Amino acid sequence: MNRSADRPVRTHRSGPRPPSLAGNLWTLLALLALLALSAGSAMLKLGPFNTVANLGIAMAKALLVLTIFMRLKTDNALLRIVAGVGFAWLAVMIALSLADVLTRAPLLAPW
Amino acid sequence: MNAHAHPVPEQFDDPVQQREAATLGMWAFLATEILFFGVLFAGYTYCRVLFPQAFAAASRHTDMLLGTIETAVLLTSSCAVALSVREVQLGGRRMAVALLGLAALLGTSFLVMHGFEYYAEYGEGLIPGIHYTQQGIYARGIEVFYCLYYFITGFHSIHVAVGVALMLAMAWRTWHRAFDPDYHTPLELTALYWHLVDIVWIFVYPVIYLVGRAG
Repeated sequence: MNRSADRPVRTHRSGPRPPSLAGNLWTLLALLALLALSAGSAMLKLGPFNTVANLGIAMAKALLVLTIFMRLKTDNALLRIVAGVGFAWLAVMIALSLADVLTRAPLLAPW
Repeated sequence: MNAHAHPVPEQFDDPVQQREAATLGMWAFLATEILFFGVLFAGYTYCRVLFPQAFAAASRHTDMLLGTIETAVLLTSSCAVALSVREVQLGGRRMAVALLGLAALLGTSFLVMHGFEYYAEYGEGLIPGIHYTQQGIYARGIEVFYCLYYFITGFHSIHVAVGVALMLAMAWRTWHRAFDPDYHTPLELTALYWHLVDIVWIFVYPVIYLVGRAG
């Protein structure tokens, strides 16, 4: 199977094409700007929207790291699926845990 | 040029398939890491629903300025590692080693800053089971928060320490010409690991440092 004659050996330089230097630096700048936004918004009285804003900004930062630094944008689609599944499992676990906690009524002992 | 320097193991058809297998394996490992930290975050979510006021009070005891600086440090180190992989892909070596060294240095400074935080918390009596002196109606909830805090940040710091060691090893190997544009998979996988450690911290920062800051 290895190096069979009818199958040409792929010889491209391994890995996806590297993102540009400017692309990486702009990503870092965007991440630092989002960090500042996160810290700033935490000081404003927004009630429950503080949590929403903080987690939203964290997700935006994570997506930037995943797509640009970890190259999911340009790399094999299979990797995007594996990465997505990792976070999807986590979402299921937290959602089902919360569904239990938030809907549980305290039961009195029957005696 | 590198057919001899980097022979493809027998089980792979070609270098491309070898790299795909390696990155897929790494991503499967990273998915388990996501779940490893995910359990701690799920526990945090559960406890925060139980003790919302105490968690806000406890979060105000953390050092937000230091936490923000630590986040910026990790984000910058992530960029440095991404650039070092790029540099190797483009045939560079010295700059790649320098960038890996910078990332290792930033990772180490993160650990030092965290050490200062832990020391300050010991002084404030915020370490459950060792030195805990909080009183009042929120004392119990604050204790739960700090238990989770030490588990989450402790495990994260272990990951950072491992990452620093890996990056120093990769800098050493890059310096000794182990990697070139044709073969740099170990460096790429180390970079993926470091970025995941960064992503974990991106979520630690708001849930530990930013709760209840507005009032």
